[in-house]
Amino acid sequence: MITEKDAILACQAGKTEMYRTLVEKYKSRAYYTALMYTKNRDDALDLSQEAFYRAYRALNRFNPDKNFYTWFYKILRNVCLNFISRKKENVPISDGTYPGAVLSERESRPDEIFERNERSAAIENALDRLKETDREIIVLKEFDGMSYNEIAETLSIPLGSVMSRLYYARKKLLKELEYLNE
Amino acid sequence: MNKNQITCEQAQILMMGMLDGELNAQQKKQVEEHLDRCANCAKTYQAFKKLKKETSDMKLKPLPEMYWDEYWQHVYNKIERGIAWILVSIGAIIILAYSVWQAMEQFFIDPMEPLSMKIGVGALVLGTIILFVSVLREKIMLRKDDKYRSIKR
Repeated sequence: MITEKDAILACQAGKTEMYRTLVEKYKSRAYYTALMYTKNRDDALDLSQEAFYRAYRALNRFNPDKNFYTWFYKILRNVCLNFISRKKENVPISDGTYPGAVLSERESRPDEIFERNERSAAIENALDRLKETDREIIVLKEFDGMSYNEIAETLSIPLGSVMSRLYYARKKLLKELEYLNE
Repeated sequence: MNKNQITCEQAQILMMGMLDGELNAQQKKQVEEHLDRCANCAKTYQAFKKLKKETSDMKLKPLPEMYWDEYWQHVYNKIERGIAWILVSIGAIIILAYSVWQAMEQFFIDPMEPLSMKIGVGALVLGTIILFVSVLREKIMLRKDDKYRSIKR
């Protein structure tokens, strides 16, 4: 069986086909992470694939002894955030500056991330109301399944801060849920 | 307070590690002892535990299998096209630079023209060609990947 490190070394030696091992392993996590940002299936597919492409281009500079996904995640996050900020710049909605611009039906109705039930819808709404940094750490832990070590590496924060950041983020999430339930 | 005892704030932060299975035995014991004697923190812990369970129970909506089947091919196409774009750009720059050289050969080989002027003109022309190719490539790629095509104005 090919290990992740073997696949990275093979890619660095120019064997593009070996990159498939990494893509197949992480495509699901990458797609759902992008979906959390974009709320749109097609965009999430395209952006996660774009992030894999950019990671491939930068792979020669990657140390194969390090964790691939935490490094890849930073690329994915940048791709998604750039996309969102570009979209915000280009699509002023009903603010009067661009009175003719309207979103198509596909753009205005976000795709569902979770199987729908009342509680998951409430949690998803509450998550959307959090600050980006708070939402991100919860998503990394709960939906990306990262360990504290991986979160610390991904967010470039000390390991000791992961627990406190998670505490404050979850506390805010609970507060938002209470607010939405009122 | 016993030196092994922790404050409510410390306990509430450590609760996260307890929920996520990230505490060592000593930290776990400290939190458990705190929860035994602090009703308020025990209540908070139950709220966090419920939230943890609810988020764990949330099921991601599955993507139709055909998207997963085609996923690698899309990434591969991007890689292949990326290499192709680099080659196309290099080729375009060489051809345009050669054409400009042909058109301005007299100027460049004229011994009466100062060397600094030749370097300046050469840099200006080459820079313009690279910028032109780069902007052209960006325009073509942006049109292909335009996320705003569906916006009706």
